Amino acid sequence: MKYLLLFINLLACMIARADGMVVDKVYHPYVTANEREFEWRLMTSQTDNSNLLTQRFGYGHAVLENVALEIYAIGTRDENNNFELSAFEVESRWMLTQQGEFWADWGLVLEFEKQKAQDNFEASAGILFEKEFGRTSLTMNLFAIREWGESLDSEWESEFRLQYRYRYLPEIQPSIEIYAGEDFIGIGPGFMGVYRIDRQEQIKWDAGFITEVAHSGKNHTFRFAIEYEF
Amino acid sequence: MANQLKQFHLVGILFVVLSLTNAVKAAETKTYHLVLENHVFFPSEVTIPANQKVKLIITNKDASPEEFDSFDLNRERVVFAGKQAKIFIGPLPPGKYEFFGEFHPESARGIVIVKEVTQ
Repeated sequence: MKYLLLFINLLACMIARADGMVVDKVYHPYVTANEREFEWRLMTSQTDNSNLLTQRFGYGHAVLENVALEIYAIGTRDENNNFELSAFEVESRWMLTQQGEFWADWGLVLEFEKQKAQDNFEASAGILFEKEFGRTSLTMNLFAIREWGESLDSEWESEFRLQYRYRYLPEIQPSIEIYAGEDFIGIGPGFMGVYRIDRQEQIKWDAGFITEVAHSGKNHTFRFAIEYEF
Repeated sequence: MANQLKQFHLVGILFVVLSLTNAVKAAETKTYHLVLENHVFFPSEVTIPANQKVKLIITNKDASPEEFDSFDLNRERVVFAGKQAKIFIGPLPPGKYEFFGEFHPESARGIVIVKEVTQ
């Protein structure tokens, strides 16, 4: 716990900007032993001047009872409207406390990304928090991000994500989401759900429509993720 | 930038305060035992007090793993073959909360009944 507090303090002292798309998945601090999954994630953001698109294809596997690894291929649409494979990422998720044991549940996510065409890198560490209030759950993520490379300025960034979810039915769990980072504060509705196919085989989905509220002008982001767990 | 720094310091402090709440020792949690044998939970019905956190200890006597799963309880945990697993549930309001074994859902099923305790 001492190390966790130290880490959080360091995280909080880091600089508060982020260059990429701030809206992304809100991570939950749980890992289920033996879990394996394929994931497709899409984020599309429309402003007055641009229409960004990022897609990720990933494969994940719980390597320990409380640690899962996932690798991603990331594709983005460039300024010439060409969609191409742009980066690779390795991610590890750590369940730090057992669900329900303490007042709240905690986890950690570590990510390392390398651009395909250039020696540009991004490493990030995030603290994951979740607390149950009856049939609702509050989830928060706080990320510290470091970027560096041949065509990137070396800099620290940070991002904050929040999701307040009502566990209505397994298939339909509506939520409100808030994102902050890089002069961006966004809020909007989300939903997630799970459909069990057979035994441990299940499909999970997760989506949100986030509107930027800190500045005037159009800035809407739609995010969608689907996972096949087996 | 100064404002952003301030905001993220505040968020960081919030996370520190939240993590400190975890250090507060909870009152002794009541423990309930379940056994999983031949892919059946025994007992299949567990009655626990309302508004109290309790601990379920599941012993898997089978030769294959099982995954305790419950949307009602918001819990999911693998119990390895021949091992025990702890699952913390609650505090919950009175009601019935179903659970099942994800690998053998046709036989491994049970229910947690939460009742008010009268002093």
